[in-house]
Amino acid sequence: MNEYMRMIVVLTVISIVAGAALAFTYEATNPKIQEQERQALEQAVMNVIPGTEKMETVEKDGMTFYIGMDGQGNKKGIAFKTTGSGFSGPIEIMVGYDPKEGKLTGIEILSMSETPGLGAKIKEPSFTDQFKGKSVNDEFAPKKDVQVITGATISPTAVANAIKTSLDKVTEIYPVGGDY
Amino acid sequence: MLKDLAFLVVGTVLVNNFVFARFLGQCPFLGVSSKLETSIGMGMATTFVLTMTAVAAYFIQYYILEPFGLSAFLQIVSFILVIASLVQLVEMIVLKISPTMYNAFGIYLPLITTNCIVLAVALLIPQKGYNFIESIVFGLSAGLGFTLALILMAGIREDLEFADVPEALRGPAIVFLTAGLLAMIFLGFTGLVPL
Amino acid sequence: MGQLVKDFINGLWNENPIFRMVIGICSSLAVTTAAQNGVAMGLALTFVLTCSSVLVSLLRSIIPDKVRIPCYIIVIATFTTVVDLTMKAYFPSLYEVMGIFIPLIVVNCIVLARAEAFASKVGPIRAVADALGMGLGYAWAITLISIIREIFGSGTLFGVKVLGESFTQWVIMLLPPGAFLVMGILVGVMNMIARKTASH
Repeated sequence: MNEYMRMIVVLTVISIVAGAALAFTYEATNPKIQEQERQALEQAVMNVIPGTEKMETVEKDGMTFYIGMDGQGNKKGIAFKTTGSGFSGPIEIMVGYDPKEGKLTGIEILSMSETPGLGAKIKEPSFTDQFKGKSVNDEFAPKKDVQVITGATISPTAVANAIKTSLDKVTEIYPVGGDY
Repeated sequence: MLKDLAFLVVGTVLVNNFVFARFLGQCPFLGVSSKLETSIGMGMATTFVLTMTAVAAYFIQYYILEPFGLSAFLQIVSFILVIASLVQLVEMIVLKISPTMYNAFGIYLPLITTNCIVLAVALLIPQKGYNFIESIVFGLSAGLGFTLALILMAGIREDLEFADVPEALRGPAIVFLTAGLLAMIFLGFTGLVPL
Repeated sequence: MGQLVKDFINGLWNENPIFRMVIGICSSLAVTTAAQNGVAMGLALTFVLTCSSVLVSLLRSIIPDKVRIPCYIIVIATFTTVVDLTMKAYFPSLYEVMGIFIPLIVVNCIVLARAEAFASKVGPIRAVADALGMGLGYAWAITLISIIREIFGSGTLFGVKVLGESFTQWVIMLLPPGAFLVMGILVGVMNMIARKTASH
């Protein structure tokens, strides 16, 4: 076998074996990866809608909503994701909303890259808890009805703005007092 | 549109500088930043390869990997192979077209394959969902940011040669400490543009 | 046997990739904000390095010289993807923190350098000894960096509070400049220790 043939054969064989090994690993890990992603999502929905035990995904007007229900199937609220523009990158937020009462049921910061020790405090309950029970008609103005964090106003403002902007759209799809 | 692209450039070159904020490309950054001249050569060569990689990564992701559902497990392998071949190709083309240009930055080309900025740019393009134009601009500004970091460091290191550095800190140690100070300066750019 | 021990020890100190050779340092700066990230990254790299060293060593007489680098890259990229998928499946929160630095193990200079300079020239057993030494040498270095950054940056160690409530966190330690400064000081300290031991 001449040298070129050998090069081609070796490279091809290695590539095929590598590809097959990876396809096999993917098949083996993929169900677990999907499961983890589903669990993380479900956990986030449970955190923002108290009393949720199972959820249902609904696509409506280009947005994805997660309807939280308790064990008996009673609807407890809807959750949706929104993204704000933070100090050092996007902030992904899960928002829980109860259309019957027209109030927020809670929020959770899913991902962010704000400054540790300062803006990153938006992740802590001391910040997120203030949105629990907040009326969707509130102003969501930082330093007025949204408490900010000492030394970091941009990150809390980004969260408040993102929630307010998305609520404007969501309350059109699911009006306050309406069915869902 | 143009505003978003301008934000992307500033965000990639200054705010999230690949060397000082994302910690990528440290090996070439330490290796070739001792002289201004070599820094400029390396920076230009890397910028060129990065722009090409961005184009290649965009097409591979959206025309090969995604349509065939391979992106979850063949992304890393295919990107790195394409980068390696691209670098080879660029080297051959440069040698054919302009031997003077090859002498100027050809020697840096083989080193670029293992510059992690190149693979990082390829991986970030699908992750951030950039469109074609944004991908090119992203690759180009990643290279410009890297070049900026190299030139800044080389300028300092050329002067540092005359400084009385404690013996234990000579070599990479003092470069890291200097990079730390430069990183502090780059930290001042955070919040400059919406990311 | 003595040769194997020598190959193993080499990476731990004499040719420690981070502190002595100063290669493959991108990840050691980027993910070292908490001690557990350091440990995880160290183990991930050790796994990729050991597996690819063994395979490169076994295939050393089959792979033609001219295409050896592409072959090594395919081998390394394959093991990296295995780690990437496994971490995503079993340690999703850790995977989130490491982000892009797990796939970037492919271009970590340590792995390709050991394949090219060592594993392709010796038998699989010596290759394993060398890879484990290098991998663990990388792991202890990156863990040390992350311990220092976590203690001063968050006042915690592996998430447990070690510095009292009155301690003010040095936020800079968790930010990019802190990584460079800690790295610079540690490389300097290791230089000093190396010189002291060499003169004795």
